Amino acid sequence: MKRSHEPVFWSLFGAGGILAALCGVALVFVTGLGAPLGWIVSPRLMEFDTLRAFAGQGFGKLVIFAVIVLFLWHATLRILLLLHDFGLGGGRLTRWIGNGLALLATIFTAYLLLLL
Amino acid sequence: MSARIEPGRTDPRRPWRRSMRGWWHRNPYYLRYLAMEATSILIALYALILLLGLWRLTEGEAAWAAWLAMLKSPVSLALHAILLPVFAFHSYSWFRIMPKTLPAIEWRGKRLKQTTITALGIAAAVAVNLALLLLLAGVQP
Repeated sequence: MKRSHEPVFWSLFGAGGILAALCGVALVFVTGLGAPLGWIVSPRLMEFDTLRAFAGQGFGKLVIFAVIVLFLWHATLRILLLLHDFGLGGGRLTRWIGNGLALLATIFTAYLLLLL
Repeated sequence: MSARIEPGRTDPRRPWRRSMRGWWHRNPYYLRYLAMEATSILIALYALILLLGLWRLTEGEAAWAAWLAMLKSPVSLALHAILLPVFAFHSYSWFRIMPKTLPAIEWRGKRLKQTTITALGIAAAVAVNLALLLLLAGVQP
């Protein structure tokens, strides 16, 4: 029997879902409201030097990679299911496009992090 | 399971098939399901905003400053104000569904109730979010 690669996508979906459920609210608040407005967190938290230093070390790279990539894989699977629910795509081509885009974004994120 | 009919060919038995058109407003539960699934689009959007930020970070200080200025724009602030309840809703629905996806868990000889698992999950989400917020609030670069 041909082995399915579905479990890989479901694992990535689950990991992204848990990560978003556990720290999504705080992340959105800090990056989108707190730091830009100087609420609760220091506005200097997201300055160039701070973030360059954070992304310059292994732990920082891992955090940034996990958040971006897992959120994207999580969303990709659900968007594909949503399209299927509306009778759009749902076929192999749509899945290839969706997962292909997520894979490209993953490689691009890794490439950017290696530059820092 | 009936055999698949190839596209463009009609089944000679002509079985009745319920139309799927407009299925989402047949039942309030379906609408709630759709609201839950639609959050995934905004989660993807948030990830793409962060990816753009990472890209700008690699391009140097001026590019990064432009991305920060974009974050301070009213459109971005409004978007993040919408993203906040969306992520909270994701968190709630994630832990509401989680017990249904897990095998039965026993605790002191009794099966753990679904509502207990949901409550524990939400408590964990509140704790982790608060801890992260306090940690970042304490950072003084």
